[in-house]
Amino acid sequence: MELGGRMLWALLSGPGRRGGTRGWAFSSWQPHLPLAGSLNATELVSHWTAVFEKRGIPEAQASSEYIVAHVLGAKTFQSLRPVLWTQPLTSWQLQCIQELSSRRLQRMPVQYILGEWDFQGLSLKMAPPVFIPRPETEELVEWVLEEVAQSPCTVGAQGGPLILEVGCGSGAIALSLLSQLPQSRVIAVDKGEAAICLTQENAQRLRLLDRIRIVPLDVTLEGSWAHLLPWGPMDLVVSNPPYIFHQDMEQLAPEIRSYEDPLALDGGEEGMDIITHILALAPWLLKDSGSIFLEVDPRHPELVGSWLQSRPNLFLDLVAVRRDFCGRPRFLHIRKSGRQRGCPADAWPGPQPARVPG
Amino acid sequence: MRSQLLRSAARCLWARQVVSPARRHLNCGSLPLEELFARGGPLRTFLERQAGSEAQLQVRGSELLAAAKLLSEKEQELQETEHLLYDENEGLRKLAENEISSCQKEITQLKHQIILLLVPSEETDENDLILEVTAGVGGQEAMLFTSEMFDMYQQYAAFKRWHFETLEYFPSEIGGLRHASASIGGLEAYKHMKFEGGVHRVQRVPKTEKQGRIHTSTMTVAILPQPTEINLVINPKDLRIDTKRASGAGGQHVNTTDSAVRIVHLPTGVVSECQQERSQLKNREMAMKKLRAKLYSMYLEEETSKRYSARKIQVGTKGRSEKIRTYNFPQNRVTDHRINKSLHDLETFMQGEFLLDELVQSLKDYADYESLVEIISKKA
Repeated sequence: MELGGRMLWALLSGPGRRGGTRGWAFSSWQPHLPLAGSLNATELVSHWTAVFEKRGIPEAQASSEYIVAHVLGAKTFQSLRPVLWTQPLTSWQLQCIQELSSRRLQRMPVQYILGEWDFQGLSLKMAPPVFIPRPETEELVEWVLEEVAQSPCTVGAQGGPLILEVGCGSGAIALSLLSQLPQSRVIAVDKGEAAICLTQENAQRLRLLDRIRIVPLDVTLEGSWAHLLPWGPMDLVVSNPPYIFHQDMEQLAPEIRSYEDPLALDGGEEGMDIITHILALAPWLLKDSGSIFLEVDPRHPELVGSWLQSRPNLFLDLVAVRRDFCGRPRFLHIRKSGRQRGCPADAWPGPQPARVPG
Repeated sequence: MRSQLLRSAARCLWARQVVSPARRHLNCGSLPLEELFARGGPLRTFLERQAGSEAQLQVRGSELLAAAKLLSEKEQELQETEHLLYDENEGLRKLAENEISSCQKEITQLKHQIILLLVPSEETDENDLILEVTAGVGGQEAMLFTSEMFDMYQQYAAFKRWHFETLEYFPSEIGGLRHASASIGGLEAYKHMKFEGGVHRVQRVPKTEKQGRIHTSTMTVAILPQPTEINLVINPKDLRIDTKRASGAGGQHVNTTDSAVRIVHLPTGVVSECQQERSQLKNREMAMKKLRAKLYSMYLEEETSKRYSARKIQVGTKGRSEKIRTYNFPQNRVTDHRINKSLHDLETFMQGEFLLDELVQSLKDYADYESLVEIISKKA
């Protein structure tokens, strides 16, 4: 059992960062171990749902359903082949479920436990501490796709739009745009090494490597944008930048606080740190009339609007705010005005260091 | 294992033979349609009257008249050739035989063409559709049968090379199915599937029955044509979209995984749900697809109930409460009550291949016949 468990752990263990998991899991899962060969998927889901509920784990049922479905080779419990609902599980399957569930008991996000999640139509590899894409961001991509479809003028030299994504994380935005815009090309940048690697891996899995350029880059560093100039003027800048107000970071659920990279979440005092950097560098990288699409906090549309108004030399206008599926103002469309060709000359050779307003 | 392979290979070959064009014509000839073409019958009178009137200047009308004219010429030719069958010259007799068989073939083809020209195709015939199956009376046994029926349609879609996507699936404890729906798309998918809507009845000894008694259970099939963007416009303000994410800050502040989506169409109260996918957006798209189909079929209901209320083959909700078919396992027989047609070999039928296709074809032909009768009596 011990040996089997060790091998299993080796098989299952991803790039997790908790060394102590095994000892903990072994001491605590024994009481829950159901008898092999007698339990089916439905019973196992209710067993683990009860365990999770007792331990105060959020989304108890959804979590156990995803774990059981995953081990049985399906994405959701709903999409599991009907025979598998009632068929007894093998002891190996039971052990897998035990192991994965024990991670959930430590509040590991389900997406990291499964090592994959879906975004738009794509299945992406997920690994801690790289930011897990949220469902709202799927709508950001939808909006970009709508805009590209409506304005055929946003086409680069090679036929499709050239897009810059700032803070690519797992590559969700970049790769879903690439897969739905067959003519497009994307420059994806991130300052986290794990994010760069994961985007690379996901691009490879989806066979999109030939149209993506993945660049390790910290946009908050002075002059960093200059590295991007050789790629040519961009049609679009897209980003889901860290936008959580710093004082809110403490209130985040353990799933987020203990597992996701805080650098992908913490936007500084008013959540604007990275947003303002993007806005400050975008005019140098965008074509005339090029667009920026951002996902932000519901308090940001107003803050960003007045920030831009006080900086007319950026030639950026907030042209539209869109609400997410929960009705919160969540997405911004900012356009570079065509009033002046190229970049503001007085600011050359680099954008002013962006500062948080206030 | 090997014999199973052989059997399925044989079935494939057989299937190909059956759906060959020759068989189609046979089907057409054996139907009551033939009666319509009888000399002095209502269709003849109708065609003659059409030829006499000068109002027939549309393309369809002139094509129809040309076909009708050719038909009577061919029939004349056939009649004349038939005399030669009794000729003393053997060579001439042989020649006549050949002539007659090719003539008959052409006649069948022409009749088929006339029917196609006369029967109006429905607005929705080319649309994709949503299939809904729901267990009826009979408890677990009804749910088991519902599961088998859902499988049958999935296999039928594969047989017809249609696209099949499960939208929701609610199984019962012992491997049965309470309710499920799927999106089906492809060449003339709705045209074929629309006759499947209604109550299907199964008679057999359920797996759960200890004393070997035969039970009768039912399940319901609904076929909803999928509207195109133009067919149906929904005001986004009329929709309420429920997700598990509705409370709290959302966005980066939360990481929830429950991606189930529920959409309510406020003016009608129609609800559509989906939790098949991990992507919430995908679930929303699928739920929306289903909602659109539901609303569209409600709209069509009003339209069609006015027009086709007298027909034996009903499509839509009116037909949904009607017992259309019985699957009798002890007798190894499936009977469609609308056209009184029985087929044997239930196991093969439930595989959703050529036998189901044959029955669907018969239903289509009968529906054509009914609509033809209606046209003739209306225009006469």
